[in-house]
Amino acid sequence: MPYREKIAWLSLTAMALAYIPYFTIINAGYFPPRPMPDLHQIGFLGAVSVARVLLLGIGYLLIRHGSPQEASIPPDERDRAIESRSVGAAYYVLMAGMILVGCFMPFSSTGWAIVNATIFMIVVAEVVRYGLAVYNYRRQA
Amino acid sequence: MMAPSAPNTGSISNRIRTLRFHHGEMSQAELGERIGLTRQTIAAIEAGKYSPTLEAAFRIADVFNVQLGEVFQWDANASGRSQT
Repeated sequence: MPYREKIAWLSLTAMALAYIPYFTIINAGYFPPRPMPDLHQIGFLGAVSVARVLLLGIGYLLIRHGSPQEASIPPDERDRAIESRSVGAAYYVLMAGMILVGCFMPFSSTGWAIVNATIFMIVVAEVVRYGLAVYNYRRQA
Repeated sequence: MMAPSAPNTGSISNRIRTLRFHHGEMSQAELGERIGLTRQTIAAIEAGKYSPTLEAAFRIADVFNVQLGEVFQWDANASGRSQT
């Protein structure tokens, strides 16, 4: 498996491990509405973000340790083509999400609902990005 | 006025595997190293799953000291598969 495909899998895994529990807990109503800025929510989001960064860091080190030679090779034209295509698709997802969250949600929601919807759309865009990267690497493998 | 017809499907085939064999069983990794591509990209090109840029195609031909047409062939009648 190419080094950059491993990194894409790692990013998807870290995203899933961090944000599936996050949104599950949020949707379960564990955090009742409190006056802004709501330090409980900030703390929870901070902890999830740190956990994701740690997962990415550890995974990255493990992958790099497993194939140090491949890790040192810069991306070639196929890597760049796959990156370009997946980032391009994710951009449209992100734009649609931001329009939805920024232009429509303020009329019906406030506070952390908007923040969480924004985070959700960013996560969806990232999943599209890395998911498409993995798909393209698999398709051409 | 007639609508423009859809382009024919076709596919690009290549002789990289044969050329590697005739150049001392050159490995995919070695070929990739010489032209700045990864081994996986060479494997994808060889399998017809990825179409290289024109520059990479010329570099491959240059490694084997042959004309581009001796490495890559276009078959207009073949049912092509989508490539990147």
